[in-house]
Amino acid sequence: MELREIPKFIVDKGVEKGATDVAAAVVNCESRMIRFSNSKVSISKSYSKAYVSIYLMMKNRRAAISISDLNEKSLIEAVERAIKTAKITPPADVYAPLPSGPFRYDETLLAPSSVSLDPSLLTGYVDEAIEGALEQGVKKVAGSLTATNAEFFLATSSNVSASQTSSALEVSVRAFTSDVASGHSVSVARNEKDFNPRLAGREAAEIAKAALNPAPGEPGTYRALLGPLVFADLVNQVGVLSSAFYVDAGQSFLVDKLGHEVASQKFTLIDDPTIPNSPGSRAFDDEGLPTRRNVIVEKGVLKTYLHNTTTAKKFGVESTSNAGYIVPTPWNLIVEPGNRPYETLLSEIDHGIYVTNDWYLRYQNYRSGDFSTIPRDGMFLVEKGEIARSIRELRISDNMIRVFSNIIDLSRERKWIKWWEVEVPTYTPYALIEDLKFTKSTI
Amino acid sequence: MEDLVRYGLKVAENLGAEYVEGRFQSDVHETLVLKNGVPEVSSYVKLRGISIRVLYRGSMGFASTNFMDRDSVKEAAEKAFRLAKAVERNLNPKIELSEEKFESRRLEVKPKVDFADIDLESKFKTLIEIDRSSMSGAEEAGGKLPARILTLNCSVTEKTVINSDGADVHSTTPKIALNAFLTAYHPQKGTAQRYLSLGETAGWESMEKWKPHELLRSEASILAKIVLEAREPPSGKLDVVLGPEVVGIACHESCGHPSEADRILGREAAQAGETYLKPDSIGMKVGSREVTVVDDPTIPSSFGFYLYDDEGVRARKRVLVKEGVINEFLHNRETARRFGVSSNASSRANSYDREPIVRMANTYLEPGDYSLEELLEDVKDGVYIKKFMEWNIDDRRFNQRYVGLESYRIEDGELKELVKNPALEVTTVGLWSAVDAVGKDLEFQAAYCGKGDPMQGIPVWTGGPSIRLRGIVLR
Repeated sequence: MELREIPKFIVDKGVEKGATDVAAAVVNCESRMIRFSNSKVSISKSYSKAYVSIYLMMKNRRAAISISDLNEKSLIEAVERAIKTAKITPPADVYAPLPSGPFRYDETLLAPSSVSLDPSLLTGYVDEAIEGALEQGVKKVAGSLTATNAEFFLATSSNVSASQTSSALEVSVRAFTSDVASGHSVSVARNEKDFNPRLAGREAAEIAKAALNPAPGEPGTYRALLGPLVFADLVNQVGVLSSAFYVDAGQSFLVDKLGHEVASQKFTLIDDPTIPNSPGSRAFDDEGLPTRRNVIVEKGVLKTYLHNTTTAKKFGVESTSNAGYIVPTPWNLIVEPGNRPYETLLSEIDHGIYVTNDWYLRYQNYRSGDFSTIPRDGMFLVEKGEIARSIRELRISDNMIRVFSNIIDLSRERKWIKWWEVEVPTYTPYALIEDLKFTKSTI
Repeated sequence: MEDLVRYGLKVAENLGAEYVEGRFQSDVHETLVLKNGVPEVSSYVKLRGISIRVLYRGSMGFASTNFMDRDSVKEAAEKAFRLAKAVERNLNPKIELSEEKFESRRLEVKPKVDFADIDLESKFKTLIEIDRSSMSGAEEAGGKLPARILTLNCSVTEKTVINSDGADVHSTTPKIALNAFLTAYHPQKGTAQRYLSLGETAGWESMEKWKPHELLRSEASILAKIVLEAREPPSGKLDVVLGPEVVGIACHESCGHPSEADRILGREAAQAGETYLKPDSIGMKVGSREVTVVDDPTIPSSFGFYLYDDEGVRARKRVLVKEGVINEFLHNRETARRFGVSSNASSRANSYDREPIVRMANTYLEPGDYSLEELLEDVKDGVYIKKFMEWNIDDRRFNQRYVGLESYRIEDGELKELVKNPALEVTTVGLWSAVDAVGKDLEFQAAYCGKGDPMQGIPVWTGGPSIRLRGIVLR
């Protein structure tokens, strides 16, 4: 059976065996990754993967199955297992039928998308990223390059039959000028045209050079400029935790905040997968609904949670086309820019800190938003509007709502970010934050 | 399946690969999610496939497929070889592997109670009872528990690792994990949250052993008390006693991760980061004589259990820190060769489509002789941090933070009131050097350790006994 025929085969079998609703999706993915460290390639990897996900309901009894064995016998067994599982699963509190199609999808979002997976071309990109950094005089470079083509076939028992493709070229580059001085940058694109590994290497190196000879930072409360990498990590928290699943589970600082201020008026966050050729663009969600532009936060006010059909019914609203059968998820996060260049924002710091990247963000309490995260790569003390020196060993220990409410301004430059620490593609400016709390080790 | 793996080896060898390793891996997961007392979903995931890893002129290539036929395996072997060849010019030093003794073994962890013998209804019933028990616990303490997620995962992993150096290891391991995320709430006093993770390499019998109803009742009760009663922690220099849960995460983050030899060599520099340790750090003093930290994959029924790693090397206990001194790093065959030692079987992959990399298994502090009472009785003014919620560490594994959840004031050797969110923010050497006494109450917690690119979450235990630290400033 052809991969594209599998979803309808499963849906028909499921309905035949008594399911009220069935959705089946096949993902067929071909991917390459080249990892590099110490300015040399450490391994080249190839992934060929096809699997089917089945979501089946018998009214409010649900089952989900994923298998990678796609022969007909295994598919029939999977449907039978889903039916049996749904029958004996205790009922959920909500039953929302899958949305009724057929739907019209934006043709521009359905346009085929692919990148070359040729090993010599990809090795060339790695060379460019490494050279882009080494040309600036750094000691060593590490990172990874990923190239992916994927097909997605969907059918549901509610008259949906659809397919879309996606592609991605991503490079993540970290350059070192010493053991404790580094810089990081990325290039994230859907196609070759928008992909610039050499620039990513150069940007990482420029930060690494400026970060040389860092001095211990002093804990305290500072006006801070957050670069796109670190701000994207924080923005991802808002995007992901606006999912109705996490709100319902109490695992979000956005609980009970609909219609309330959760950020400064300068901050508007949109989930917009309808932008053609952007890293997270897609025509439909996992239930087959056409995707749409959702304003999550508008001028500081929380406007919506992200929903699939089931969470929407539970919350008494419409789906926002963000299914995820169980957990609604953002696709393509966009932060509205400010009007001024980031250098101007930097010049407005009399005594503060510029953070270029972070990692390891953890919550003390998701509900209150108390968290900490660790700046990594270049971090700089700013005095009278200019970078005074490189600093290290500080931690941002603050509260999400407080940080977003303390945004003074955003830059007009924006950059697409997606890397190890930032899962959802995010188009973000620099952010100037008032009174950001920094702590450090006491012994 | 083994024939297919051997076929992949043969294809790559015929192309000229110096070393080939084939791995078949099947992971079957049954997961139940109960949110706020209501079944969210039952899911079943079965992912299986074959990966081929080749070494050609010092260059490593890896390819995987989940199409289980000869043509697809041949294609994977050819891809792995081509990828290795494409970057062969770009390597210095070239990758070489340590010499090891390999065996042919068939291993199976047999559960006492098979997952299949417990039907889905009974599993959900158990979760619902645990959920009710947790709510009762909170109510008994005068509080509320409005948000709860319970997740039960029962899985079976089957692996076959065959390489061109003679390894031929087949293993079957069941794992069970119970995770709980609880939120206690009071309209005026706010919220407190607890994440709890239990996991073992075993069957359903673990659920009976854990007594999860009693455990969650107790956890919820304490969580409610934290919201209602906890006061601000004291400031200034004082003594701190850490409970086994906190010691476990600290061992994992600040002793296990920095000892990973691939980090030391810079291979993870752009993702999980590097380490403060250097190749010549063996013998370096990082803590007091009371501190001995080990990593042992061979502990029966542990969450990180294995007897052979994914390169086919026989596992053993590794002593990472011995009496306060760096003693041994975690190695795979590539790093072992670079360091001129033997692999200590630390190479693991979490799925058929992931390369094996250097990982921890069960990392813990060796217990001492003190009872908890003895650790406390000598503290005049201090804080006992029994459980934690927030934690992180920098990517050189040197500056870390653990924020207490269940924590108490200690006065004149006695536990007093609950204190709210005491933050221990210390360097690795600062933390382990401040240890002056180690308890005998060794306990383990389950976790999924994240590393690699693409990310590989891998089951581990973190553990330790209670310890006492002198002269700490809490945030």
